[in-house]
Amino acid sequence: MKSNKKYWKGLEELKSSPEFVEKNKNEFAEQIPLEDVLSEGGLNTVAPRRDFLKALGFGLGAVSLAACQTAPIHKSIPYLVKPEDVTPGVANYYVSSYNGQSILVKTREGRPIKIEPNEKSLFGNTGTDAATQAAILDLYDVSKLKGPKLDGADTSWDKIDSFVKGELNKLQASGKKIRIVSSSISSPSAKSVIAEFITQYPNTVHVQVDAVSYSGILQANANSFGKAVIPSYRFDRADVIVSISADFLGTWISGEEFTKQYVGNRNSASLKKGKMSRHIQFETGMSLTGTNADSRIPVKPSEEGPAIIALYNEVTGGQLPGAQALASNTAANTAIKLAAKELLQARGRALVVSGSNDVSIQTVVNAINSALGSYGTTIDLDNQINNYAGNDAAFSSFVKEMNNGEVGAVFFMGSNPAYDYSDPKLFTDALAKVPLRVSFSDREDETASLCTVLAPTSCFLESWGDESAVEGYFTIVQPTINPVFNTRQAEQSLLAWSENPQKNYYQYVKSYWEKNILPGAGKSWKDLLQAGFVYTGAKPAGSYAFAGDLTGVAQTIVSQSKALAKDIEVHLYQNGAMKDGRYANNAFLQELPDAVSKVTWDNYAAVAPKFAEEQGWSEFDLVEIKGENGYTIVLPLLLQPGQARGTVSIAVGYGRTKAGQIGKVGENAYPLAKVANGSVQFHTTAAISKTGGKYELAQTQTHHSYEGRNIVRETTFADYKKDPHAGTTAHGAAHHNYDLWPEHKKIGHNWVMAIDLNACTGCGSCIVACNVENNIPVVGRDEVRNRRDMHWIRIDRYYSFNDGGKSVTKEDEISELENMDNISVVHQPMLCQHCDHAPCETVCPVIATMHSSDGLNHMAYNRCVGTRYCANNCPYKVRRFNWFNYWNDSRFDNYLNNEFTQLLLNPDVTTRSRGVMEKCSMCIQRIQGGRLAAKLEKRALVDGEIQMACQQACSANAIIFGDMNDPESAVSKALRNERTYYVLEEINTMPGIGYQTKVRNIVEA
Amino acid sequence: MSAHNESILREPLITGKNITYSKITEDVLVPVENKPNKAWWIGFGIAVILALTWVVTISYTFWVGLGTWGLNKTVGWAWDITGFVWWVGIGHAGTLISAVLLLFRQNWRNSINRSAEAMTIFAVICAATYIIAHMGRPWLAYWVFPLPNQFGSLWVNFNSPLIWDVFAISTYFSVSLVFWYTGLLPDIATIRDRATGLRRRIYSILSFGWAGSVKNWQRFESVSLILAGISTPLVLSVHTIVSFDFATSLEPGWHTTIFPPYFVAGAIFSGFAMVQTLLLIARKVMKWENYITMFHIESMNVIIIVTGSIVGVAYLTELFIAWYSGVEYEQYAFLNRISGPYWWAYWCMMTCNVISPQLFWFKKIRTSIWASWVLSIVVNIGMWFERFVIIVTSLHRDYLPSSWAMFYPTTIDILLFVGSIGVFFTLFLLFLRVLPGIAMAEVKLILKSSSDQVKQKLIREGKVEKSHGEYYQESLEKYDSVSKSDYAKS
Repeated sequence: MKSNKKYWKGLEELKSSPEFVEKNKNEFAEQIPLEDVLSEGGLNTVAPRRDFLKALGFGLGAVSLAACQTAPIHKSIPYLVKPEDVTPGVANYYVSSYNGQSILVKTREGRPIKIEPNEKSLFGNTGTDAATQAAILDLYDVSKLKGPKLDGADTSWDKIDSFVKGELNKLQASGKKIRIVSSSISSPSAKSVIAEFITQYPNTVHVQVDAVSYSGILQANANSFGKAVIPSYRFDRADVIVSISADFLGTWISGEEFTKQYVGNRNSASLKKGKMSRHIQFETGMSLTGTNADSRIPVKPSEEGPAIIALYNEVTGGQLPGAQALASNTAANTAIKLAAKELLQARGRALVVSGSNDVSIQTVVNAINSALGSYGTTIDLDNQINNYAGNDAAFSSFVKEMNNGEVGAVFFMGSNPAYDYSDPKLFTDALAKVPLRVSFSDREDETASLCTVLAPTSCFLESWGDESAVEGYFTIVQPTINPVFNTRQAEQSLLAWSENPQKNYYQYVKSYWEKNILPGAGKSWKDLLQAGFVYTGAKPAGSYAFAGDLTGVAQTIVSQSKALAKDIEVHLYQNGAMKDGRYANNAFLQELPDAVSKVTWDNYAAVAPKFAEEQGWSEFDLVEIKGENGYTIVLPLLLQPGQARGTVSIAVGYGRTKAGQIGKVGENAYPLAKVANGSVQFHTTAAISKTGGKYELAQTQTHHSYEGRNIVRETTFADYKKDPHAGTTAHGAAHHNYDLWPEHKKIGHNWVMAIDLNACTGCGSCIVACNVENNIPVVGRDEVRNRRDMHWIRIDRYYSFNDGGKSVTKEDEISELENMDNISVVHQPMLCQHCDHAPCETVCPVIATMHSSDGLNHMAYNRCVGTRYCANNCPYKVRRFNWFNYWNDSRFDNYLNNEFTQLLLNPDVTTRSRGVMEKCSMCIQRIQGGRLAAKLEKRALVDGEIQMACQQACSANAIIFGDMNDPESAVSKALRNERTYYVLEEINTMPGIGYQTKVRNIVEA
Repeated sequence: MSAHNESILREPLITGKNITYSKITEDVLVPVENKPNKAWWIGFGIAVILALTWVVTISYTFWVGLGTWGLNKTVGWAWDITGFVWWVGIGHAGTLISAVLLLFRQNWRNSINRSAEAMTIFAVICAATYIIAHMGRPWLAYWVFPLPNQFGSLWVNFNSPLIWDVFAISTYFSVSLVFWYTGLLPDIATIRDRATGLRRRIYSILSFGWAGSVKNWQRFESVSLILAGISTPLVLSVHTIVSFDFATSLEPGWHTTIFPPYFVAGAIFSGFAMVQTLLLIARKVMKWENYITMFHIESMNVIIIVTGSIVGVAYLTELFIAWYSGVEYEQYAFLNRISGPYWWAYWCMMTCNVISPQLFWFKKIRTSIWASWVLSIVVNIGMWFERFVIIVTSLHRDYLPSSWAMFYPTTIDILLFVGSIGVFFTLFLLFLRVLPGIAMAEVKLILKSSSDQVKQKLIREGKVEKSHGEYYQESLEKYDSVSKSDYAKS
């Protein structure tokens, strides 16, 4: 029905008067005086008071409302065009290579944040060393050069290029020598770049020098077998290992590789097979390797030579002179005889190594190994290790050339002789005579600061490149970020300066590989960027026989030994964290406790406790150490059980003066070394006197014996073979436990861990991996001294002593021991045990720490009020408290408190504020990530898919993580092992981490 | 209650001649109604300086973080919780005196309960500051209360002894405060009645309209009894619960069932020592010798010797049980206390708490003001060390020797503790200036029954047996506030 109703708005409309009709035509019934208002007259009218106040009121109100907006303005720029492969929150992994090891670099939103082993690589499976884990921090080092410099002034690369090229051409014309001084380069492409540089400037010679070189081995092998190479040692094939001061699990040649090989003969799997290698170590200072040895005999540096001669005589029945010098050390003398017997029994499965850099000693070692049939079995001369090509003799003659004014230009590439040469003054004086001094160092270090041209190279994470650690094994270095600063990689600079037709090093590497390496392996460049490495296969290892006269060699050894024996003998060594000193500005490594002494942030003079007593020294006394050449340093004393009496061990790699903000730590011991017998010798003598001062070293552990407590359980291999439960005190019978609390139901997963004390060597790379993964702050020397280190995982190291067949572990008994040389060491990684009956959980007043349904002990940082009751009640003392706001406190500026370095932080892990407790979370972000990945793919989690950061970094595979609810998981199997025990199980905390007993292969003499 | 005469054989609780109700009022209110004397100013000046030190150090700690203290990864509590337990312990005497002694009708408490209760309240305040200060994030301290919150059902952990502590301490504080204030009402009314102007108005409000009527007094007496009944269990419970902080843990040296009684005895021990420390000075400076007599001092010394001996037995029992348990961690913890790096703290504790109070067996020492004062200080030092020994020497060497560490206090630790003593004395000295330090009403209550003048009168009037009268005179020998010549005449 249609409505006819009409509504009218007024009588006017109803009447429809003409007046109304006229008005209604327009939109507005009345004319609006717009023109009037906007005309001049209108604008000049005085605003009425009311209007003015209204406007004022509104204006003020609006302005103050606008001003009330307190929220800070964050400029977030969305990806208008999303970069390929970058998804916020999802990590990308790129293969690369570091020190010859194929690695994976984890990047988040374009920032590299973690280095992980490339599991698929040849030597990968698991594990990296601590330095590799810490290397990520070098990218974010604020002490690096921000761009090139010429004569101390910032400049551009163009200017540098034209200047250097001009100078080089002048030098080439004048016939002056040009030298490239580098640390050992294993990179085929870099070597090729240098070769082409030499073609362009034929006056050039490439000198390779290593701070700690293996010239002795190279020379000895050249003399003995005509091959100046470092062979591949095969500790996995050795049943009896005799090491004379070679720290082969730590710093000697390739510790990480050797660890994997060595542990393979000692871990659970090997023990199951009834097999365990026997390791005898003769050494001066207590090394990481020494702590793992089955028998360890302290010898002085002067006794090393005689010991090797004695061993040679015992093994071959020879009559070399010089063995008598060992007679005074009866323990060593007996041990050598025993070792020789064991070596001979294991012919072809025996290996003798020496850490000496002396050609004579290494020659005798070659003779022994040859007599034992090691060549072709445990030593492979045909597949050499390329990491150390440094030649001490070549460097010495280079210094002479400089001194004679023959050198016109020198390029320093990864070498820092002003710091690490044994005679720095000779070097710096000689260097001053060189007109063109170029440094590629990434920072203005000791050598770079003497150079005129600073052409800083990029970090390896910003560079292209390649490496070949072992013959036939090639790894690729690929950048994961654009250069942060205005740096250019050294190879690129050399290409530019040698007028190479290929200006781009990326193209250069690519074409080099495509031409020389990839065709042989049948791989493409793309394959390479996915796999990270190419292996062209090992050459068959030939067997070599030593045939030479050792009389002259033995005489040299004897005279060197006599020279050492006259005074307090000094043993210079590298420690696992600082190595040769190139990592001095890395806070993670500085704070990584020494594997043996647990000292951080310093080097020291280690002496035997009994020797110190004789000399009237006590711990932390400052002593002046005066070397043979008059070089003097003052260092604090550390009483190191196991140190040979009458000797002092000092770590090199410290005392950097120009490494950067934090690198000035300790004293430089390199100048104590001397050049003798054609190589740099790290054994020398010194006069030591007390200065009267004291200096407390920052140690993370200050009590060194386990007081006979049941926390460390060990057995001998002989007992283990009789009863695999030996030493666990369990004997297979299960305890019945009574609970006050209801049991935690673990539906789904039950995350646990197994740690094999017989596999763990104590190297500490797990600590650094954990630091990087979990954003653990570095606290610095003073705070470590205050016993406030923040490490979530630590390695407890305990000494025990053998006194006439009785094990002495209590401190008051140890102090009464006459002989402290029979020392055994155990390393016990300690981290949150994720107890099922967690003492921390019951005492927290605010439920900030609680148990998860999958067996983890959680920590809710946001809920923590910081009473520290949980830490007090933790029997394992693994909880760490944030005493300061480490990420925002000027006291920690040196370490991680700056915006640039904080780019390193793992965005998946909260940084903890001051006043909050923290501890091992069992890498909960990794567990969660793994679970989510499986969930998205609608599948069950696979055992081993989730790896803890510590586990991943462990070269020895000592840590296994997994699901206890899965009886077939690796960790379940490991925990069913007879050797399994739980630390402090008697207080019924029901820890989630099981340990396997330490087994020592001790032969009853 | 006090209409009848007390036995002549009992020692007088009020001495002096011509003590009247008004004289008591005059005497007690001297510090409240007059300008403070020099002694007060000196004491107050020192206390305020120390209190300001506390303000500065605690502000610094809050600003920078707990790293300013000497704690470390192994020793998570040290001077903070030592100070906390020490102050809570000191607070114990107040309730014991006001509640337990009231129920047992120990009239001698009437002269000392006011100051003792005030001391309790101030000591608990000092203890509470430590609870907050020891937290890593003190601004979230309110999270330890089961408050409704926006997190859903996020509750506190009722399993945690720290939560029990929160309840125990807050209950204790509030009950003590109410008890103290109730007792103050008639006295405040007295001040009000004597004051003028603004003072009168303030005290008028504070007196809650006390009129002194029979009904008022009747209710006052009942409330006192009820509150005494409520407080009595608190005397036992508070330190029992504080001891649970340790006893329920796993820490060797803490995990001990003897802790509750041992802590309560220790608390009473230190509480009485502190009362002694304060009142011996107060009675001299305020000239209150007639009200706080040698009998009071001796009685407190007797309690000190009893509780001190209980504590001593507890120490020895701990050692025995550690040995008897056969637990190596437990054995080591006690061996370490005796002979470890902190041996001096243990032996300091032993000397101060067990050996030196035994001197009170000698009447001469027990009734010597100087000896009592010095020993009261010694006891408080000893009790501080007891808590230090329990907390630090247990923590610094527990299960895993790798984590063994030493604790060294920083300047902040020390200043904070010394400062808290300043806070305590500042509050106490202010209290003496505004409120009567002796419960006037309660002292007046016993004037007609237990004072020396009443007993003298009885003797003079021959209402007591001669031998009893002589006995009474002889036992007055020790009194510094009684002149023996008064008795020569009779």
